[in-house]
Amino acid sequence: MASPCEVLVDTDDDAEAFAAVASAREEASRIERKFSRYRTDNIVHAINHAEGRPVAVDEETAGLLDYAATCHEISEGRFDITSGVLRRAWTFDGREHAPDVGVIAAALALVGWSRATWRERTLTLPAGMEVDLGGIGKEYAVDRAATRVAEVTDAACLVNFGGDLRASGPRRGGRPWLVGVEDPAAPGAGPERRLELARGALATSGDARRFLFVNGRRLGHILDPRTGWPVAGAPRSVTVMACSCIEAGTLATLAILRGPLAASFLEEQGVQHWLID
Amino acid sequence: MTSRRRTWLAALILASIVFPGCATVHPWDRDLLAKKSMRLVPLPHELAADDHIYFSKEGSAGGMDAAGGGCGCN
Amino acid sequence: MQLSAASTAANVRQRLGAAACLLLAGSLPAAAQAPAPPAWQLEATGLLYGEQARARVVEPMGRVTRLYANGRALSLGLAVDAVTGASPTGALPSSQVQTTTGASGRTTTTTTSSSILPTHTFEDLRTAVDLGWVEPLGTMLSVTTSAHYSREQDYASLGGGLKSSVELPGRRITLTLGGGYNRDRVFPSGGTPMGLAPDSDPRTPGDNPKEVTTGLVGLSHVVSRRWLLGVTASESREQGYLTDPYKVVSLVDPATQLPVAQVTEKRPATRTRDDVLGSSVYHLDHDILYVNYRYYWDDWGVRSHTLDLKLRHVLGVASWVQPHVRVYGQAPAWFFVYGLTHGPPLPEFASADERLGPLRTTTFGGTYGFHVPGSRGEFTLRAELLYQWLVGHPPQPDEAASGGGGGDDNLRRAIAAGDNGTDDGRHLGTRIGTLLIGYAVPF
Repeated sequence: MASPCEVLVDTDDDAEAFAAVASAREEASRIERKFSRYRTDNIVHAINHAEGRPVAVDEETAGLLDYAATCHEISEGRFDITSGVLRRAWTFDGREHAPDVGVIAAALALVGWSRATWRERTLTLPAGMEVDLGGIGKEYAVDRAATRVAEVTDAACLVNFGGDLRASGPRRGGRPWLVGVEDPAAPGAGPERRLELARGALATSGDARRFLFVNGRRLGHILDPRTGWPVAGAPRSVTVMACSCIEAGTLATLAILRGPLAASFLEEQGVQHWLID
Repeated sequence: MTSRRRTWLAALILASIVFPGCATVHPWDRDLLAKKSMRLVPLPHELAADDHIYFSKEGSAGGMDAAGGGCGCN
Repeated sequence: MQLSAASTAANVRQRLGAAACLLLAGSLPAAAQAPAPPAWQLEATGLLYGEQARARVVEPMGRVTRLYANGRALSLGLAVDAVTGASPTGALPSSQVQTTTGASGRTTTTTTSSSILPTHTFEDLRTAVDLGWVEPLGTMLSVTTSAHYSREQDYASLGGGLKSSVELPGRRITLTLGGGYNRDRVFPSGGTPMGLAPDSDPRTPGDNPKEVTTGLVGLSHVVSRRWLLGVTASESREQGYLTDPYKVVSLVDPATQLPVAQVTEKRPATRTRDDVLGSSVYHLDHDILYVNYRYYWDDWGVRSHTLDLKLRHVLGVASWVQPHVRVYGQAPAWFFVYGLTHGPPLPEFASADERLGPLRTTTFGGTYGFHVPGSRGEFTLRAELLYQWLVGHPPQPDEAASGGGGGDDNLRRAIAAGDNGTDDGRHLGTRIGTLLIGYAVPF
């Protein structure tokens, strides 16, 4: 998952706590092994190296691709799981860079969910194109892990994978979980804001750790697949609350993809959200 | 080395260990520390070989392991 | 028909909610059996060691560890040292014939040149086996018990140790307390010589016992996200037969300044050793810096400083390189001599073993490591060069008796010529090369 993962369990029973953490960890490992684009032995590797041939996928992968397709549609093309190849053009290491227009153009030629054929549980990608489930994989893992944990224990649990989290219920005595929202300008320092969460999910999207400078202007790592450039004018950090982590994460990403219109987008959606500019 | 010097040395070393650590290290800051290479002895087999080599070629003893084996070489 | 902004927005959220529901409602895939955590760990190491024109050692080592559920572990290790070659006897070079006996009792070496250091040849095989058990008690305390036995042609060692570690609340400081006891037997080939007696005197057969008791206390501290510090202090007490039965000390004729006889060496029967080791592990942006410093002192007068630096640099995804420098300096034992004057009564203890002398060692080398693709194993290859020499003016053979002044030029020249051929105050320089190959894999 490339981030610290934790499970908070409100219980006095050691065995119960260990069982909860073990089941969450198992589920997270399973999802990572199955959908990580860094591995050479999973369905994502098969899809990305099919060289234009159709690839039949299993039920779980089909579910994720269906979800990604819906997101692509409702975001009018801004959310696109084939935009991963654009990372070749950008190095988000916090330094000043002059982007290579040629590389961006070449990569853009390989971006576009509309170019893929997704039908009857079979995905056909033109050669050279890739899918990257990193944008929804972590939030999906949180939801799945939370479900597994709920099967194993009745205690209130909060699953947090790198800042994307979901709570199954309030702590003992009805007290909510206290969640701190990091200040993107000072990632190591204390929280900028504290939220109370009894039940539900929170996801944060932002540029706190991966960003770069172009002509002195700071740009985050979320790329607009229609231009190949990072989204400009977006808030530094967007936190959204929803019933499930994947919903919360997608809404946060969709908001950032709207750039300066992020705030109004989230208000229109009527979801609880917190922005840091 | 006199025992007084020894006491001072021990106190200095203990102080230099305890004092730098007034900042808190949160559980989520343990990402780097979880690496296998972030241990005081990252490659135990190299340490064992070195202990053996330097023990038999120099006058000092390893001191890393209380239960090290003996050999007729020092 | 133009949809109002509000209804479009609700559309988005509704669709998203519905899509998420659909995705998450899908039955959880039949949990594919996650690979069980490894229950075994295997490590195989091979050491190749060569001193220029002298000893050669080949040492394969293996260790098998069985890991259990709650952190318990059982480990069995085996090492075999095959040593061949020659080692200096401590005698001074001379043009007289000198005979020496070897540890394997079979070969004798004679030297007739004043430029070659007398050595004795030997072949030996040492086998060592050790067993260890780690038992965690609760989540903060862990106890390790170990036992070991080793045997070579003229030495046997049996011992055990106990070590316990406790993590203080907050999990930043770990305290370790350990102790060990060894009971050894020394039974030199050809019998035990009388100390400070002529080489040709009869030797006593039989065993010589030696006991070593060690205690250590350690503390490790997580200073920050990138920095780990550790300090360990230990003391060990030895008693019994601590002399090297094959080493001799030359007796030098004060008039001619040439060695004319030799006697076996003799060391005290007790030794108390102390040392303090400070370690630091610091994670830079991409590399890790390891710094170790050890100060050692004992009641034989030997004091030493060791500084060890390593830098681990990651190359690519699964491989790394780790250059290494080690600098060592030692002050000699009070009874260390290059030679004794023939005539006056011999001192109580004397040894010309360079390992008790004013020694310097410098080591340069590096390790290359990589994860073997397809397995979870890691392979390491280390090559190092050690250069070791004695420093300081070669003193008078017996400072008190010789009364200072000239006449030791011949002796100095004899000693200097015995090694690197130059008269620069450095002598008995040895170049050593080592190669260490290791493979560790959990399964």
